[in-house]
Amino acid sequence: MGALLKGLSEKRIAVVVGSGGVGKTTVAAAIALSRAREGGRALVCTIDPARRLAAALGLASLGNVETRVPAEAFEKAGLAARGELHAMMLDVKRTWDDLIARHAPDEVHRDRILKSRIYQQVSGALAGSQEYMAMEKLYELATERDYDLVVLDTPPTAHALDFLEAPDRILDFLGNDTARLLLAPAVGAGRIGLRLFQLGGGYVAKTLSRFTGSDVLRDVAEFMENFQGMYEGFKTRAAAVRGMLSKPDVGFVLVSSPSPLSIDEALFFHGHLRAQAMPVAGVVANRVTPDLWEADEPLPSAANLAAALDAAKAGLGDGELARRMARTLAEHQVFARADARELRRLRGGTTGAHVSVPRLGSDVHDLAGLAALGSWL
Amino acid sequence: MSSSVDGPALLDRRLLIVTGKGGVGKSTVSAALALVAARRGKRVLVAEVNVQERVAPLLGAPPAGPVAREAVPGIFTVNVDPRHALEEYGLMVLRYRALYQAVFENRLVKFFLRVIPALPETLMLGKILYEARVLEGGRPRWDMVVVDAPATGHAVQLFRVPAALLETVPRGPMRRDAEWMQALLTDPQRTALSIVSLPEEMPVSETIDLDAQVREVLHIPRGPLFLNAMPDARFLPEEREGFEGLQHAPSPLGPAARAALLQAERAEQAERHAARLRSAVDLPTVTLPLLALDRWGREAVECIADTLEVHV
Repeated sequence: MGALLKGLSEKRIAVVVGSGGVGKTTVAAAIALSRAREGGRALVCTIDPARRLAAALGLASLGNVETRVPAEAFEKAGLAARGELHAMMLDVKRTWDDLIARHAPDEVHRDRILKSRIYQQVSGALAGSQEYMAMEKLYELATERDYDLVVLDTPPTAHALDFLEAPDRILDFLGNDTARLLLAPAVGAGRIGLRLFQLGGGYVAKTLSRFTGSDVLRDVAEFMENFQGMYEGFKTRAAAVRGMLSKPDVGFVLVSSPSPLSIDEALFFHGHLRAQAMPVAGVVANRVTPDLWEADEPLPSAANLAAALDAAKAGLGDGELARRMARTLAEHQVFARADARELRRLRGGTTGAHVSVPRLGSDVHDLAGLAALGSWL
Repeated sequence: MSSSVDGPALLDRRLLIVTGKGGVGKSTVSAALALVAARRGKRVLVAEVNVQERVAPLLGAPPAGPVAREAVPGIFTVNVDPRHALEEYGLMVLRYRALYQAVFENRLVKFFLRVIPALPETLMLGKILYEARVLEGGRPRWDMVVVDAPATGHAVQLFRVPAALLETVPRGPMRRDAEWMQALLTDPQRTALSIVSLPEEMPVSETIDLDAQVREVLHIPRGPLFLNAMPDARFLPEEREGFEGLQHAPSPLGPAARAALLQAERAEQAERHAARLRSAVDLPTVTLPLLALDRWGREAVECIADTLEVHV
């Protein structure tokens, strides 16, 4: 077992984070698969509409409910299924709706909120909404189910901060008392922004409606009014979610490609996790170009290679092939050295297990591929 | 090869939207397109949307921030963020800074602005589209505005804003803005959207999905597809077979054979993904080579621009 998986063996929750396109989903699935092969009950929850992941797991599709990967898929891949592997895809809108249903005092309030245009905005488009629901779902899976390991594949955030701060930020505005109190009487009286109007020295509300139209302001007020009774429940739960993340049985796994941008983001995220006392289990450098010429001597010339081809009697040898090979090795080493430089930067700036996965010959498209990836972790 | 589907040549449009999955090279392609246009004597603005700026640094210039700034002769860059877009728009409407501050710096107003549906997107998109149509001294301020658009999902969210507003907002200033914005976005004489992709599994899948959304949801005229970082097929199948037997040979032959084998595998895989992309998307494709460069900067952009020059 590799250093990363060893570090995760005592964990119940693994949160896989990193910038987009670095292979987070595949790494998350490989971690869950490895636990299942060890005999555990593991779940991978992805946010990607990753049809490829579903296919790799031998499932027709992934939905908002957990699906067990069939034993036949393991057999087909030549793997022993000692434990269980489950997978699901997070549906952000459904998770929001469930959360509203859970906290709404009655059906009337629930339906009013679900139909509100402002709610559509909050649940669908507000920055951080997806991240918030990922944490919410993780909490539900960790507290109401019986998995040995839940692996969460997080949304590819453009801004790494979003992930940890989204719940607070969203609740901060949903619970904005000043706004609610100011608006509430106005709604009742059918006179939107009455107090706002006075407060802003005469032109605040007027100006706002010049931008949005007064209908939009009324929608906001109604939404706030309907949400009022639910705020405390939301807040308590968000605090519990936050508490869960700093427990010792949680491990964050940072995934990065060797590209400078991806490394920058990983380092930034790492610093942030440390500052918030969140446990970092390890760092995965994915798709690394292997160094094929570690020696100090200069790279071989076309003439060197032509001579070597000739000596090896490979039946391939002509000078033209040797020239292409020399160029290919030189280019390969440009990539390898750039990757090595970036990896040193990543290692120097992060804690926990460090593993490096070479750029594999083919894409991971089945359980066997996931297992092969797992062997590097 | 024709460089766009319908309408004028790509670089003769006023508004060029470049999008794609994160990490595919959108900023490089945006910068390179701007460079080609500038080489042809055009005055170009490259707008990034609320991100850590990449375009100006790629061109060897410092980040511009929220106010357009000349990165290299003929190319200006700007990073559009909702706060400054709001300020600019607010000032345009209210005319006086003191008035703007009294209204928009109000804590309560700030709060409201966050829940108004799609306001940040409207403001950012409004700012960009305004730049694409504003006149200065009787002629357009910019010959071309290139939008280095956010990654796939966010891009659809951003460019769907005007249509969504037209569906939901009954009247008022937001609707009036949405009307001209939508007209500009869907005009094939003035606008084109190009997707940047990589010859890899996930980027290809996302490109196919995104292209469908552009056609069916956004209705923005489509420009050519840019297939970035394509490795060239430089070895014959029999050569590749030979490498299999040589990869464990002593140095220097072993490492060279191993590198050649990896290159051949990568090229073969890339070609498979590229073929899937070409068969699923009915657009002309501009293929950009995988460059073996130690650092990604001006040199890379110039290289890509040289390749683009003959296609656009």
